Amino acid sequence: MLYRRLYQFFMIYFLGLASLMAIKYGLQLSDYVIPGPPEIASTGLRVSGRYLLNVLNTLAVAILGHILAIVLATGIGIIGRLTAWIGSFIRVAAYNIQAYPIVAVAPIIFILLGDGLSSRLLIAAMICYFPLLLSFVGIFSEPVPEIEHFFESTRRMTWRLQIKIRAFENIHKLITVVVGSATLAMVGTIVAEFIAANAGIGYSIRIALYQSDLAKILVALFLIGICTSLYLVLLEWIGYRIRRRWAIPEGGLK
Amino acid sequence: MLYEIKLHSNIKYIKVSPAFESTRTGAQGPMLLECKNINYQYPGSDTQVFRDLNGRVADPGFHALFGPSGVGKTTLARMICGEIKHFSGQLITAGLERILYTYNLERLPGWSSVGEHLQLNTPTSSRHRMDELVASFGLQGCMDSRFAQLSLGQQNRTNLARYLLQDFDLLVMDESLANVDEGTKEKIILKIKQMFPDRAFLYISHNVVEVAKFCKQVFVLRNFHKFPQAIVLEGRNYTGGPGVDKKKLEHTMLEIVNAL
Repeated sequence: MLYRRLYQFFMIYFLGLASLMAIKYGLQLSDYVIPGPPEIASTGLRVSGRYLLNVLNTLAVAILGHILAIVLATGIGIIGRLTAWIGSFIRVAAYNIQAYPIVAVAPIIFILLGDGLSSRLLIAAMICYFPLLLSFVGIFSEPVPEIEHFFESTRRMTWRLQIKIRAFENIHKLITVVVGSATLAMVGTIVAEFIAANAGIGYSIRIALYQSDLAKILVALFLIGICTSLYLVLLEWIGYRIRRRWAIPEGGLK
Repeated sequence: MLYEIKLHSNIKYIKVSPAFESTRTGAQGPMLLECKNINYQYPGSDTQVFRDLNGRVADPGFHALFGPSGVGKTTLARMICGEIKHFSGQLITAGLERILYTYNLERLPGWSSVGEHLQLNTPTSSRHRMDELVASFGLQGCMDSRFAQLSLGQQNRTNLARYLLQDFDLLVMDESLANVDEGTKEKIILKIKQMFPDRAFLYISHNVVEVAKFCKQVFVLRNFHKFPQAIVLEGRNYTGGPGVDKKKLEHTMLEIVNAL
């Protein structure tokens, strides 16, 4: 899983870098516009330590925002299954709110909350919250009659049991949505940092942009890709462990 | 005749005037399941399922609901257990306070073993029956397995066993023994009859032989354009022991087939 993810990332990253070099040498662009491989390598050696700390800072905020979004989406998803109209109302509201690009709303958040951790966290959570919410409301509202019927007719059904049944039956979907939204959390945090924050790799990219230093940006992208891949692998591994523990008994299939 | 009068004296009838107002009347006393002028069509559908459906099945025992596919057996079963409420006419369920309905596509949750599920969902009053049921249903080897790991026949038997361990007066079994071989099916039905002589069962099946052989009363449901739409016949009610009289069994089977 880890090997495949990293391999895929390296493939994409170095293909992109090769395309950039092809443009540079094809159009005979100067090192000021697109730096050559030696300059990228030397910049990498010079800034990678500092940038790695920045990426880890961003990743920590993204993970916190992601967890916050999962908790909120689970709570609202559980409420949304109570009656058809509440579920429908939440879905319509979520569709409408997520239609606003978060980048457009971000300046308001920065004006109200400042450029500290809370703004980055809120934007990271908001950007991955709505896709999670729509999936969770859908999953928790969808009955599994062939399992639930017994508990309904013997009056043993509780809301916890209902959620457990629906979550168990859709565990693959839930894990896929959670893993997919992790990338959004990372994107949200970087966007927030890029707009107005005072820390994180997005902030470093903004500084590099002001300096027109493409080499630094390429090094930052490399480290972001590595860290995001590792986070996705971690989530996939947790999902795999949950599936193994919940769905398949110890000792495997009989 | 005297018995019928006694039954009726225990039932509270509720007057039904407008169309599509249903009445589900329950009362204490001897077991009786009776349909009176039931009319029903699915919401949003033009196709009528029942038109003045009448019929009654009385007393505890292993009864059958028989009829061709699409005639409304499952619909009637869902009305009996209260899942479908908006129909016109009267459905009398006297002496049947706890009605359960089970069908062959049901599944057990996959997060625990079959044994754990049965332990957790069997009322204390029925615990003593669990081992006997598991053994006679041939499920001893399935207790440590997850439901999804069982064969279709084992799944159906497991599902039926967990319902039999509940408190009920009437259990509607909608093709609950599908995918079970004939020998095991016979063993299971005879065991049910032996273990639960004071309960009522309504067995939905397409197999005319088993319906004629094992059931006490057979509620034959016909297409809605036939009148009457239901005919109740006597089955052979075989309970084990000496073999069933083949001539009588053939006669019952003919009666059931002719009723369709």
